[in-house]
Amino acid sequence: MKQRALWSAVMVAGLTVAGCGSAARTESPSGDSQQKQQKLVVWDWKSSEPTAAAYIEKAKADFAKRHPGVTVEFVAQPFDQYYTLLGTAIQSNKGPDVMLFNGGGQIRDRVDALFPLDQYVAGDKSRLAGWDAFSKDGKIYAAPVTLQGHPIYYNKALYEKAGLDPANPPKTWDEFAGDCATIKKATGASCFALGNKEGFGIQFFMSGLGSGILTPQEYDDWIGGKRDWTSPHVKRIFELWKDANDKGLNNKGANSTAMFTDIFRVFETGKAAHIIGLMSDIGHWKDFGEFLPPDKIGVMQAPVVADGATPSLPYDGGIGYAVAKWTKDPALAADLVRSLTSTDALTAFYSKAGAIASDTTIDVSQAGPAVAAIVSEIKTGKPALHVALSSKTLDLMGRLSQQLLSGSTTVDKAVEQLAASDRAG
Amino acid sequence: MVRPAGSGRAGGETTKQRGPREGAATRPASRGARAERLAPYVLVAPAVLIIVLLRLWPLVLGVNFSFTGDGELNGTPVGLSNYLELAADPLFHTSLRNVGLLVLLLPVAVAIPGLLATFIYLRVPGHRVYRSVYFFPAVLSPVIVGAIFNLMLGFDGPLNAALGAIGVGPVDWLGDPGISMFTVVGVHVWATFGMALVVFLAGFSTLDTSLLDAARVDGASLRQVIWHVIIPSLTRTIQFVFVTTMIGMLTSMFGLLFVMTSGGPEGSTYLPEYYIWHQQGQMNRPALASAASTVLFVVMLVVGLLQITLLRRTGRQD
Repeated sequence: MKQRALWSAVMVAGLTVAGCGSAARTESPSGDSQQKQQKLVVWDWKSSEPTAAAYIEKAKADFAKRHPGVTVEFVAQPFDQYYTLLGTAIQSNKGPDVMLFNGGGQIRDRVDALFPLDQYVAGDKSRLAGWDAFSKDGKIYAAPVTLQGHPIYYNKALYEKAGLDPANPPKTWDEFAGDCATIKKATGASCFALGNKEGFGIQFFMSGLGSGILTPQEYDDWIGGKRDWTSPHVKRIFELWKDANDKGLNNKGANSTAMFTDIFRVFETGKAAHIIGLMSDIGHWKDFGEFLPPDKIGVMQAPVVADGATPSLPYDGGIGYAVAKWTKDPALAADLVRSLTSTDALTAFYSKAGAIASDTTIDVSQAGPAVAAIVSEIKTGKPALHVALSSKTLDLMGRLSQQLLSGSTTVDKAVEQLAASDRAG
Repeated sequence: MVRPAGSGRAGGETTKQRGPREGAATRPASRGARAERLAPYVLVAPAVLIIVLLRLWPLVLGVNFSFTGDGELNGTPVGLSNYLELAADPLFHTSLRNVGLLVLLLPVAVAIPGLLATFIYLRVPGHRVYRSVYFFPAVLSPVIVGAIFNLMLGFDGPLNAALGAIGVGPVDWLGDPGISMFTVVGVHVWATFGMALVVFLAGFSTLDTSLLDAARVDGASLRQVIWHVIIPSLTRTIQFVFVTTMIGMLTSMFGLLFVMTSGGPEGSTYLPEYYIWHQQGQMNRPALASAASTVLFVVMLVVGLLQITLLRRTGRQD
C-alpha cells in the first residue's frame, strides 16, 4: 500500500513538473536568440489548395535563394476557423511569424498584433496595387497578393437572345432596368442573381453599384472616413436595394440563397443576366468559365443612377501576408513576405488560381475579355465602399438588408441604425 | 493477497518487532497509519488535479476575462461593460429568446417519438421497417443533415416544387424570419428523435401487458388506452426523455444553425452558442464572447439544477 501511495505521489509530482516545464520553456527565450532564426512558420488558408501549389513553390524558391539556411513551413488552416485560431494565437502572443489576412476590417481589427512593414516593402509600392486595404493610420501591415473587387458580370448569350447588343451594355439605371425587362420577357431570366443568406449580398450591391450613385467627392469622403449617412445619395443606395427587389429584378428567395455556393450557379446556368461577383478566389471570370465560355462573359461599369456620379471599378487588396509583432527577426519575415509577392510567384497564382494578382506588371492578355476589362479599369478604380466599414457595421448591415428585402424595416430606420453603428466605430 | 479488513502491514510489522524493543514498535505503526490516511488523497489527486486544472481553472479564467476589454482595451479591466453591452444587444436578446422557444417546443419534440413508439409498440402494419427507418437519421452528423435539408428546403428546392404542384405557394423555409427557427428545430427533431424512440421502446418493454389487455376487455378506445394506461406507466421514461431531449436541444444545435441559416435571416435563428462563436471568431471580440459564455453558463446551471431536481423527484416516487 505504502509502495503504491509512493508511486502515485511520484507520478503526480512528475506530471506537475512536466506540465510546468513545458509552460516555462516556451516563455523563456531558447538561449540562441543571438543566432539567426532558422525557421519561419506561415499560417494561411491557401497553401493547401492544389491551384496555389505553383505559387507557393515559386515563392519558396525565391526566398531560399536569398536565405538558404532558413526553412519555411506553411500551415494551412481551414478558412471557417482561420480568424478564430488566429485570435487564440494573438491572445497568447505566440504563433506564426507570417500570416495571411483578408484586406479591410479583418486586418485593421488586428493591427495591434502586427509589425509595420513600411520600411521593408518600399521597393514594391509602385509594382503592387491594393495597399490601402492593408494599411491603418498611415502604416502598412501587409503586402497584397491579390486584388479583390466587385465587377458587374453579365451573360452575353442572354443579351443576344433578347436582341440586345452585348458589346454595348447599358450606361444608366433606366437603360439597365429597360434591358432587364427585355431579357426577362425574351428568356425568363431575372436581372440580378442575388444571394443574401449570410447578408453578403448588400455588401456586393453597395460596392458594385455605389460608384453610379455617389458623386466622386462623396465617394472619396466615404472612403476617407467622412461618411454622411444623411445624404440623399447614401440613402439612395438602400432605396435602390429595396426597389430592385420589390420590382422583381432579383431571383426569388434571395434571403435564403447562399452567396458563394448557390448564387453563382444561378448566374452560370443562365437563370439571371447579371451578377455582382468577385475578381479573385471564387465567384469570378474563371469560375464561371465552367459553364459559360469566356467570350460570353462581359464586365460592365456600374450604371449611372444619380446625376454627377462617375462609375469606377470598386476594388481593394484582397489577401495579403503580414508579419506578427512577436516574430524574432522581423526583417527576415518581411523578406519572406516580399518573396510571396514577387512577380514570378504572383504570375503563377494568377494563371493557376484564377486571381487578379496585385502585381500590375503581369500580362493578362490571354485570359479573355472579362479579365481584360477588369484589368483596364484598375488604374481608375477606387476602394470598395463596404470595405471602409467596420466588421460590426457590416454584420448589422447584413441583417438590416434582409429586413429591407422582407419589408420588416424601412430604409430610414435602417440607415439610422447603420449611422449609429458607424459612428460608434 | 487477501487480508481481512482491519489487519494491515502495520500489524505484521508490530508482530515482527515484538521483544526487547517493545516501546519502539509504536512509531513504524503510526507511520504506516499516516500513509494509510494519506493514500486516498494521493490516489484521487490526479483526478482532482485534472478537474481543477483543465475544467475549473479555465472557467475562472474565462469569467475573469469577461471583465476585461477587447481590441485596444485588451487585458485592461472594464468592469461590467461587456455585460451591459450584452444587455443592450438585440441579437443577444434574440438568442436568449430562442432558448426559451426551444424549451416551449420541448413537449412537441418529446411527443413525436413517444407517439411513434406507441404505434410501433401497438404493432401497426410495417412496424419492423419503421423501427429501423426512424433510427436511421440519428447516425448522421448535423452537418450532413443540414446540407441535405438546405437542398430540400431551398426556395427553388424539391419541397417547394411539390407544394407548387398541389397549388400551394412557395414557402421561404430558411429565408423567412418567422419560419426559419421552426424549420431548424423541425430538422433537429427529425435528426434526433430516433434516440428518444429507442428509449421509449425500452420503456414499453417494461410495460405490464395485462393492464393493456384489461383496458381492451373493458372496451377502451386507442386514445383512452394511451391516455389512461400507457402514459401513466411510462412516467419515468417520459421524464428521462424530456431531460435528454432538452440537453440535446440546448447543446447540439450549433452545427445545424451553422450549415442551415448562419444565424439568419435577420438574425432570427441565433442561439447563445452561435452568438459566442460569432463574437469570438468573426467580430474579434473574445472578451465579449466570454461574457456571453458566462451568461450561458449560468443559464445552463439553472436548467441543469432544475433537471436534477426533476430526476430526483422522479426517483423518490418509486
